[in-house]
Amino acid sequence: MNNKLGSVLLWPALAIVGAISLAALALGRGESVNAVWLVTAALCVYFIAYRFYGKFIAEKVLGLDDSRPTPAVRHNDGLDYVPTNKVVLYGHHFAAIAGAGPLVGPVLAAQMGYLPGTLWILVGVVVAGAVQDFIVLFASMRRDGKSLGEMIKMELGPIPGALALVGVLAIMIIILAVLALVVVKALTASPWGLFTIAATIPIALLMGVYMRVIRPGRVGEASIFGVVLLLASIFAGRLVAESPSWAPLFTLNGTQLAWALIVYGAVAASLPVWLMLAPRDYLSTFLKIGTVVALALGIYLVMPALAMPRTTRFIDGSGPVFSGQLFPFLFITIACGAVSGFHSLISSGTTPKMIEKESHARFIGFGGMLAESFVAVMALTAACVLDPGIYFAMNSPAAVIGSTPAQAAQVISNWGFTITPGLIEQTARDIGETTILSRAGGAPTLAVGMAQILGAALGGKAMEAFWYHFAILFEALFILTAVDAGTRVGRFMIQDMLGHVYRPLGNTEYLPANVLGTGLCVALWGYFLYQGVVDPLGGINTLWQLFGVGNQMLAGIALLLCTSMLVKMKRERYVWVTLVPTAWLLITTLTAGVQKIFSDNPAIGFIALARKFGDAAAQGKVLAPAKSIEEMQRVAFNNYLDAAVCAFFVLLVLAMCVFAAKICLQAMRQAYPTAQEIPPQALAGRSTA
Amino acid sequence: MSAQGEGEGEAGLGPRWRGLCSACRQVFGMPDYERYLAHAARRHPGAPVLTRGEFCAREIERKYGRGGMRCC
Repeated sequence: MNNKLGSVLLWPALAIVGAISLAALALGRGESVNAVWLVTAALCVYFIAYRFYGKFIAEKVLGLDDSRPTPAVRHNDGLDYVPTNKVVLYGHHFAAIAGAGPLVGPVLAAQMGYLPGTLWILVGVVVAGAVQDFIVLFASMRRDGKSLGEMIKMELGPIPGALALVGVLAIMIIILAVLALVVVKALTASPWGLFTIAATIPIALLMGVYMRVIRPGRVGEASIFGVVLLLASIFAGRLVAESPSWAPLFTLNGTQLAWALIVYGAVAASLPVWLMLAPRDYLSTFLKIGTVVALALGIYLVMPALAMPRTTRFIDGSGPVFSGQLFPFLFITIACGAVSGFHSLISSGTTPKMIEKESHARFIGFGGMLAESFVAVMALTAACVLDPGIYFAMNSPAAVIGSTPAQAAQVISNWGFTITPGLIEQTARDIGETTILSRAGGAPTLAVGMAQILGAALGGKAMEAFWYHFAILFEALFILTAVDAGTRVGRFMIQDMLGHVYRPLGNTEYLPANVLGTGLCVALWGYFLYQGVVDPLGGINTLWQLFGVGNQMLAGIALLLCTSMLVKMKRERYVWVTLVPTAWLLITTLTAGVQKIFSDNPAIGFIALARKFGDAAAQGKVLAPAKSIEEMQRVAFNNYLDAAVCAFFVLLVLAMCVFAAKICLQAMRQAYPTAQEIPPQALAGRSTA
Repeated sequence: MSAQGEGEGEAGLGPRWRGLCSACRQVFGMPDYERYLAHAARRHPGAPVLTRGEFCAREIERKYGRGGMRCC
């Protein structure tokens, strides 16, 4: 009774607080809006969505049933299949899905103002992102923890299954390249940053040896001294940056860093996993969770005002950070945080094998994605509390704003965001760097925003440089872990495919085949990385959009699977739950994909840009910002390649639409459910291990 | 049958603290030897168990051996 009364009061109260917060964001007439409104609006939306829409999906649409044993209960082998406490599994799942994605996209999208990004993140997560994660998790849970590829094969057929795998590999290659590019942009000419990142390698090796040889199995002890050394390396980095003899050793340009990362990727992915990958993954998970919590507390303690306007004039598509109008490009720039196709791979990985009861899937799948969305909201907040002039100085390519603070200040002030060269230089000094210009890629902008928020909460101006490098370390560390782990995944996928052509190449115990697989994977992402680094037009703008299209297409494919599955379960009545987000994703990504390929505007269309540079090169003319005919030809070739990758994604998703539609029509003619779930009468306790 | 004093680090602590340690290990995806011992004692009493070092080596290989899909 008491509970009921509380509930009757709580939800309307939350709705009112949320509505007031949203109104303050969207309608406020004051000078500036406080960031607390943004964060509060987001939290209210999450709680209400979880309580009502999440419950509706769980009970009505999917019919979660605690009397059906989950894979963890049926197999309980103490290894893969372990019934896990709901809250613990939530943390585990969140740590697996959260990455650099929700941090980069919102920062780039902030060029249109804070409101468009906020609204898309909030609406997108409730209608699309959380629904996808939840239903894929549910589907995998009802199929013994099968992966997305296997489920597509089961429910849609072998050809769609194989196509989806090729698509996943292509997206992985692009994402590895774009993540590595984020690191390059953050560490170029930054001895402090590079030293701390480089230091993580010996720290991880030391931890690996400690828990393998010195004190076998003592993972906790190794982690504690790992974290201490990590924090010490941030302080040591300042000494390195200030030392005239050490600083030059750690001052690299973009091309050198790109090569360093390519070599790193190849070597790291060939080492035994206990030596580097596992210890670094522990460190990056600690930092990830710690930073997210610190940032949330920081925003509430400091209560910074949003300096970015509600919307900027760049919603017309002329923005310096990325080109293209709000529709459709906002919706592919903010991928993770609103909806991320990559999550469908995680939600069908280890998590479904650890769920204790079916009803927990709502908290873990739906709720886990809401937490990721909250990270995206905080990243957007951190970018928008910065002076907009600083934001544009950091995120615009050098071709647009020039390479000195004076030039940049003049160009940006002309856009209507008044800034002085002095403030640009002062910001760089505050964070212990020599320059902040054209550090596109999200990480540095977020780091400056975080440094200002956390600095205001703890340590003041003097600590800003420390917090900046802490934030860079936290992002670069988990990106490098992702590069290592992703290269391994890519290698296995490539070997799997090569094995169909020539059997010995598929043997993962055969060293030459392994070397070939790793080499091919690194060469593929390395090519796109190198292209992005030397691209005089900036690189990240192109690659991030290519990734966005690919990632959202993957989400579209996962939601097509969910839709077919609902139809096959004979729950056609509720099919709009997945059909609406599927349709929206297809509309935005196909529009964006087609525009990226065919737009006449060289700032948007790959082919138009390739033609422009190719034709000029043929006539012997050099167009800025390229400096030679050779560079011109390279720009042309790379843009044709990007157009081809984009076309591949578009064709792939169209093909999947056809397959899914065919399956749905077939299933609708059947009188009984045809989804291939593990039957409910499968009893618990059949475990063998 | 809890193995050869292997859990000495946490054995002296209260059950609540042990539970917290175990929860943290699971969230961070670390090998959880104590939970493995409990599982082995419950499901296969009397059977030989792995040492802490062997168990962790096997767990790390199992989790990371194929790279592990990571999100963006």
